[in-house]
Order: sequence, then structure tokens, then C-alpha cells
Amino acid sequence: MAEGIVFDLGYKPHEGIRLGRSGARRALVRDGLRRVLGLRRRARSKILPAALMAIAVIPALFFTAFGVIAGEFDVSATLFGHASYFDLNGSMALIFVALASSELLIPDRVHGTMSVYASRPLTTPDYVAGRATALAIVVFAFLWIPHLVLFTGRAWVAGFGSYVTDNYEILWQTALASIVYFVGYTSIAFLVAAFSKRTAVAAGVFLGIVMMSGATAALVDAGYSIFGLGAILDHPGYIKDWILGSPQGDWIPARAGMEPIASLGVIVVLAVASGLVVVGRYRRAA
Amino acid sequence: MHPGSVTAVTDTSILSITGLRFAYGDIVALDGVSVDVPAGRIGLVGANGAGKTTLLKLLLGVLSPGEGSIRVLGHSMPQQTLEVRSQVGWMPERDCLPPDQTASDFLGYAAELGGLPVRAARQRASDILGLVGLHEERFRYMGGFSTGMKQRAKLAQALVHDPDLVLLDEPTAGLDPEGRAEMLDLVRRLDEFGINAIISSHVLTDIESTCDWVVMLDGGKVLRSGPLTALSTPDVAELEVIGDAAAVAQLAVGMGASVEIDGSSLTISAPGSDPFTIARDAVLDAGAAFRRLGTKRTTLEDVFMSGGDSDG
Repeated sequence: MAEGIVFDLGYKPHEGIRLGRSGARRALVRDGLRRVLGLRRRARSKILPAALMAIAVIPALFFTAFGVIAGEFDVSATLFGHASYFDLNGSMALIFVALASSELLIPDRVHGTMSVYASRPLTTPDYVAGRATALAIVVFAFLWIPHLVLFTGRAWVAGFGSYVTDNYEILWQTALASIVYFVGYTSIAFLVAAFSKRTAVAAGVFLGIVMMSGATAALVDAGYSIFGLGAILDHPGYIKDWILGSPQGDWIPARAGMEPIASLGVIVVLAVASGLVVVGRYRRAA
Repeated sequence: MHPGSVTAVTDTSILSITGLRFAYGDIVALDGVSVDVPAGRIGLVGANGAGKTTLLKLLLGVLSPGEGSIRVLGHSMPQQTLEVRSQVGWMPERDCLPPDQTASDFLGYAAELGGLPVRAARQRASDILGLVGLHEERFRYMGGFSTGMKQRAKLAQALVHDPDLVLLDEPTAGLDPEGRAEMLDLVRRLDEFGINAIISSHVLTDIESTCDWVVMLDGGKVLRSGPLTALSTPDVAELEVIGDAAAVAQLAVGMGASVEIDGSSLTISAPGSDPFTIARDAVLDAGAAFRRLGTKRTTLEDVFMSGGDSDG
């Protein structure tokens, strides 16, 4: 039997390149993606993201396959137009944002990992932006990929060509609407997560706040139109219909007589305010 | 320069602080702190609440100074915070490890955050985990680590991006004697790695055994800043005698020395003369014998208890 020899290799300094702040930012986003999707984590961390992603995408795949096989792919045959598909995966995105936001922000603060970020070439806004970017990538993919699938399926059935040139606008419209859904939900979710210690509680509180915002409908119906601004759940959908030019549903801001631009203003103000509060909160957490 | 300082400013200072003041609201944490410390292993000692952790956070730019200036590795704080953070590692006192990540994954990520490319980061993570004795545990989730393993992992994350300076906040906290010895051995080895260290601790013996310079804080002020070697005083003899200690003391005083006596122990100082020659002659003349003879050695505890006077 050969005898092994243990060599103490000692400490080897890093002599290669250093990527500095930009490298640190990219690392932050990569880690955020892994965290949101449960990658390199225990198996149970992967289940929920995978299930929600599947629920969001599978209908699009199914109806695309159905349409391609049937050789017919109009909205009446597939049940789903682009606008109504948002009503399905917008709900999935809401749950996903609730879970992913708390998973992104809370453990770093509760487990003291902010101390590690404080000794790396990063600022607190870098940290918050990196986490938001990771979530944005996943939520955007979550919301927009089904539309790409639907578009591709319809183009296939139609033989591409004129279908693509006549309808390509739907791609940027759905992309824009996806961003609105992301910003509209994430700003509140980040705010709640920044002040919570437990991920499940944060997700529950966020969903509770958003769902309860539906109660503003009663106040709006009672004549208090200003409460239409508080309809957090409905703002993204209302703006989505505006972007897609589709018939507008029974959104609370619409019932309050507000223009879609007012809903957009609410989303932007909430996002800026939330960003400032979360940065302030995490600056103190290191 | 602060009256407690015993050395001049050097060109190789890793840390230079002038007139630093910081308060949490009405509570003053640091007041009038001015120190210059050279490269090497620097001890930062003081009782709980002395301002040690606050000072470390100021060095990292986590807190901004109310008054005064700070230069870390030649960079002004807080203006050059990112430059400093690129070159510094921090081992905080409290936990900083995500329990749902393996040591290998977290160390790789910590290295990437330090600016290392992905492949180099993973290699460094493996190397550093081996260095701190966690190679066998590298694929375990850190939530299951013992206190000793967590302390090693915390040190590893501070080193993994190859910093020029590490700030270690109570590195032996919560460790058993064996773990404490191993951690202190790792800290001592930082010198051979070419990494400077500022080690914050309220355990004075830890600082004595690992550092070559000490900064003492008390109530937010600097009691003393200087090399540990300056704590030994070669012109003062300390002896313990078998026989009549009072007679020895009397004879030594007759030879022009100043003597302090405590039971059978004597401290002899003789400005302009050799205290050891006086001690030898006095013991011989008194017909006594030596049990112990040596230079007076002042411990950090002596200095601390005397309020920073190194002669105390």
C-alpha cells in the first residue's frame, strides 16, 4: 500500500485579475437567481419555484401544441389571448414575488450576512439593486416567456411571415406589461420583507396587504374615489390593458374614474419610496 | 498625537486616525481618538462597550465619523470606502453565515463578491477551507456547524478574497480552550500569509499572545497605542527572595535604588545604575537567596488597570 504524504501548501495569494465592483454586482445577481430558484439549496427550496413556473408556462405550451396540431390557433380555440394570459400568470407572479422577495432579503439580514457585504466593494444601493435585478429577471421570464410561446405558436400556424410583421408589437407590449407587474408587486413585497424576520410571515403579510387592497372597491363604490389609488392588486392589470389596447376589465382604479397614467404614477411612487426605505433599512443592518 | 501613544507616525501605517469622534445620538462611543498603527498584527483591546466594534465599523465605512479623519491602507474614509472594502476582510463577532448554504458555496460566493472571477473564486474557496481546517466539511450546510467550525468559516470568508487587512472582532468568542488555541494559531499565521490584522478582543491574553502592537480603548478614548515589546521594562529588576526581604530592600535602598516590596517580592529600579547588580549585592549582603530574578514585565492587564500608563 502506497504511503501518502501531506504537503502543507500554505497560503497562496490571488495573483490573477480582480473584477472589482462590477464583478461583485454580477456575483450578487447570480446569487439572487440561485436563491430565488432554490438552486444549490436543499431540495425543498426548489419545489415551490419550479411548481409556480410550471403552472405559469404549461398552459401556454399546451395550447401552443394543441394549436399547432389542430392547425388552428385563434383566441377562441385556445381560451387564452395575451391579455387574459396575464390574469393567469399575474396571480402566479404575485405568489412568486411574495415568496422570492422574502427569501432574497430576510435571510441576509437575520443571519448577519450583511456584515459580509459590508466588507466587499459594494454599496447598500448596489445590494438592493442586485437583489431586485435577480428577482426581475426571474419574474420577467415567468411572465413573458408564455407570451413568447403563444406568439411563436400562432406565427407557426400562420406560416410566420405576415403574422410576425403584423403582430410583432405584442412582444414589446407584453414585455412592458410584465415589467409593470414586477414593479407593482415587488415594491410592496420588498418593503414588507425589509421589516420582517421570518420569510413565511413576510410572504403572508404581503399577500394580505395586496388582497385587502381589493376592499377599496367598496369605498370607491361608496363615492370615495381617492381610495382607488390604494388598489394595489389592480394597478398592474389596469395598466396592462392600457398597454395592450385590450378591453379594460372591471379594475378598481377604472371604477374610481382614474386614468391608467394615475395607476402608473402610484406604481412609480411606491417603487421609489420602497427603494429608499429598503436601502435605509439595510444600511443600518450591516 | 495622543498622549498615550508611544511611537511616531510611520510611512507604513495601515491605519491613521486623527481626532475621531462618533456618537450614537447622545451616547458618545468614540471621542478624540488619534492613533497611527504600523503593518502587522494589531490588538484592539478594551472592555465591552469601549468602542472597539464601532471603530471597526468606521474603518469599513459602515458608519461615518462625526468628526476627525480616518485613513485605512492609505485610503481616506468614508470617501474611498469601496477601495478600502476591496482590500479588507471582516470577521464580525456575531454570526454571518447563511445556514442553508454549504461552506464551499458560500466561500466561493464571498470570493466573487470580493471581485475574484468565478473559477478563481471556487479554487480560493477550496484552498482557504483547507487552510482553516474545514476541507472535510466543505460540502456540509453551515447551519449544522459547531461554534468552532462557524468561527473558522467566519475567518475563512474574511480571508477568501485575499485582502491586505483583516478585521477580526472577538475571533475566539465562544470557543473551548482547544478551539481557542487553534484560532489563535491561525491568527498568528496571518503574518506569514502577508496579511495585516486588527484583532479586537476583551481577552487581554489573546492579544498578548498574537499581536505585536496594541491599541487600548476605554470609554471611547485611547488609553495607549504602542508596541507590545514596550511593555517589558529592562531597567527594572523583579525578584523574589528566600530569606529576609526587608533586609534586602534596606540594603538596596542604601545602594541608591528605589525599591517596592510586597511580601518576599521586590521591584528594584536604579536610574543610572544596573538594578541587577544592586539586587545581587543586596541579596548577598543580607545572606538571602534568589527564588526568581528577571526584568519587570508589565501585562496588558496591568496597563489597562492603571489607566494606560505603561510603567504601571
